[in-house]
Amino acid sequence: MGSKKRSFKTLSILMIALVLVLSACSKGTPAADTTTPQTNEATKDTGKFPKAATNQNAAIQGGTMNYGLVSDTPFEGILNPVFYSGNPDADVMQFFYPSLFNADASFNIKDGGAATLSFSEDNKTATVKIDDKLNWSDGNPVTAEDYAFAFEVIGDPDYDGVRYDSTFTNIVGMEDYHAKKAKTISGIKVVNDKELQISFINPDPSIKAGLWSYPLEKKVFGSIPVAKMSSSDPVRKNPVGYGPFKIKSMVTGESVQFEANKDYFHGAPKLDGINLKVVNPNVVVESLRSGDVDMVSFPASYYDEKTLPTNIEMLGIQDLAYSYLGFKLGKWDKSKGENVMNPDAKMANKALRQAMGYAMNNAQVGEQLYHGLRTAASSLIIPAFADYYDPSIKGYTYDPEKAKQLLDQAGYVDKDGDGFREDPKGNKLVINFAAMSGDSVAEPLAQFYIQNWKDVGLNVQLLDGRLQEFNSFYDRIEKDDPDVDIFSAAWGTGTDVNPAGLYGRTAQFDYSRYTSDENDKLLKEGVSEKAFDNAYRKDVYKQWQELMIEDAPVIPTLYRYGLTAINKRIKNFDISYGSGYAGDALAGIELTADKPVTQ
Amino acid sequence: MGMRAETFAPAETIQKSPSSWSILGRELIKDKLAMSSLVFLIVFLIAIYGSTFFIDQSSVTKVDLMSIKAAPSSDHWLGTDLAGRDIFGQVVLGARNSFTIGFMITVFAAVIGLTIGLIAGFFGGVIDNVIMRFIDFVLVLPFLMLVIVFVTIVPKYDIWAFIWIMTAFLWVGKARLIRAKVLAERELDYVQASKTLGTPNWKIIAFGILPNLSSIVIVNMTLNLAGNIGIETGLSYLGFGLPDGTPSLGTIVSNATDPNILQNYWWMWLPASLLILILILAINFIGQALKRATDARQRLG
Repeated sequence: MGSKKRSFKTLSILMIALVLVLSACSKGTPAADTTTPQTNEATKDTGKFPKAATNQNAAIQGGTMNYGLVSDTPFEGILNPVFYSGNPDADVMQFFYPSLFNADASFNIKDGGAATLSFSEDNKTATVKIDDKLNWSDGNPVTAEDYAFAFEVIGDPDYDGVRYDSTFTNIVGMEDYHAKKAKTISGIKVVNDKELQISFINPDPSIKAGLWSYPLEKKVFGSIPVAKMSSSDPVRKNPVGYGPFKIKSMVTGESVQFEANKDYFHGAPKLDGINLKVVNPNVVVESLRSGDVDMVSFPASYYDEKTLPTNIEMLGIQDLAYSYLGFKLGKWDKSKGENVMNPDAKMANKALRQAMGYAMNNAQVGEQLYHGLRTAASSLIIPAFADYYDPSIKGYTYDPEKAKQLLDQAGYVDKDGDGFREDPKGNKLVINFAAMSGDSVAEPLAQFYIQNWKDVGLNVQLLDGRLQEFNSFYDRIEKDDPDVDIFSAAWGTGTDVNPAGLYGRTAQFDYSRYTSDENDKLLKEGVSEKAFDNAYRKDVYKQWQELMIEDAPVIPTLYRYGLTAINKRIKNFDISYGSGYAGDALAGIELTADKPVTQ
Repeated sequence: MGMRAETFAPAETIQKSPSSWSILGRELIKDKLAMSSLVFLIVFLIAIYGSTFFIDQSSVTKVDLMSIKAAPSSDHWLGTDLAGRDIFGQVVLGARNSFTIGFMITVFAAVIGLTIGLIAGFFGGVIDNVIMRFIDFVLVLPFLMLVIVFVTIVPKYDIWAFIWIMTAFLWVGKARLIRAKVLAERELDYVQASKTLGTPNWKIIAFGILPNLSSIVIVNMTLNLAGNIGIETGLSYLGFGLPDGTPSLGTIVSNATDPNILQNYWWMWLPASLLILILILAINFIGQALKRATDARQRLG
């Protein structure tokens, strides 16, 4: 169910192998983009998948559903939205720690959730009202104090997570607080037990979709120093939430038993409980077939129409995620808290990056390797953000001739006749490629890209000669390991179109460490007061998409369809965007048989 | 008188005691299974090493997304895998890689083990004690677990890194075996005589003791070869063996970890699995025959 409105404001990392596509910066190439078969149109009509369970049988009382968390590594067990960074953890949290807010189909916050949001006339102040009946599962009420506390922790200089970005610095007084110049955040005001006011420096249209939406229980965390919170027991061992389910027992990394939270503010859930366990992607199909798991977010690379089990139903929706190829262009400067580019980086030459993008045949990857469940990506804003995605941007389509031309012009030529190009100074050029292990196509995918690059004369090698395991992959990317030149990864975009959290100067998630004045300017414009005018905002983001294609610090490679496979005994479950509050959707799930349907 | 007559028997009737080589050879010929294994192995090795001239590794490992999971056909004799790579070519290259690596590890381990075993056994005393305690230490380490850890942390991972990691653990068993034999050997008269005559130690070891150990070394290496191929394919199957992109029998078999492939795409894993079985059985049959040859009571011929 990874896909029911995953409204984590900050971006969750998706586990995926990646790819790159260079964009057609047509500098010096008078010839127009050759139109190679490109797949911006969906190659597979996911309309053939229902978005909600079609089961109409009579439901049984209660029952326990088995949820399979598809991952080839244990989940890290950082079970708190303030601190987690991996998607497997988010998958666990959705059951007991949902977002406070409900959202509509374009991901803007609307009423119906555990809290409501309203704005002052000048859009400078937001008021959040938390539902009176909303309680933590340890019995304490969820208060405005708790909600404010989350902001205080994330803004604390000792905070070791990755959530502190421009959406937080936009709050009045946040930067003073972060710099320890103030004891409190002046822009956050607790009105009463359940009501909080947040004032912003610049009225920002993305607040409507991207406002931080998780409280942090002050009674529990208040006594823990901020630097130690992420490793504390309430995060790792006995996390407490306010969702429809609560944790009964847990084996960190392997399994979690949830029981119904009878005190859930919209009424007790229909199920008695949920058993979550980690399922290796290799055995997902068999686990579904045998009824071992009732619900999984189905890995696209295992989709094989010929051999799909008959006891399951496939639900499909366009995923809020994209895969990309990143180029390491600098470092995260911890003391300054911002990204710093290194002009001498191996990948610092723009033409080289663009050429690598043109060399990748993503259309074929999507069509063949992923059975059409993925499509070549053209821009860093995904089509699900229909208002802002610009279909006229073609991005980096497969065009090896253009790639060669770009490399020739930039001085990357083969001087010693070994079949690989040297850099403009004549030194050997070996590009180290970090790719993640994972599902069974991870290796063919990485090899295919390496082959694509070899076809245009670039010598790309897998980092250390092997694929990297998920956790160590992100560890090395985050720490700017100097051995990594390029990497393929994926982002869950969350529901806020504003890309500042991924590509801003102060965004730690900007793994390529790309910065530019133009980028700063556009990101700022996109969330300025003027941008409350949607046409203006649209134009700004169009420019931004073009800039990112031109500068190519990362190259989007694949968009994806998200599949959720459910056992045929599951009833009353809908994954479409805007269909209701995430917590209620889980609370509403029913079963129509005691035992899973087997094939 | 009779005694005398025997002593002066005509030269042509003197029976030279058979050399250990001819005993080994005779034992092989007597054992039909071992003989046919040997013939198979020789033909097989000529085939896989010879085919290197016909099969281009880069074309075999080339990902071809247009022919994914193709069933066996005249283009691809054993079909293709998830990435559209020809299985037949991979099996040939994989068998070559797996055998080469098994062989290299065996040889390196034997050379190191032999040297250290000879030194420890021949000199004895403190040297022996130090070496043997170290060997005991290495032997108690959980070998496979450590190999897996090393494989994940070694910075530049390639075939040679793999060979050295394996060798680092596998020489100890051999050293222990050799040392035990040398201990017995050095008490024999010919060694004592050489020492008395002032022959340097290295000469005694190299020209005196070593030839007398040759048969046991050969037998042990043969049996180890099968074991080492098994370890290599096993580790590759688990994903801790050869680097990605290097075909090995183990990596081909690991296609079968996907149950969908296991059930519906037999050609991706069955040929390689059968080959491992036959290869290891053949080497083992030969090794068994050689082993019997070194033990007079078990000989067939």
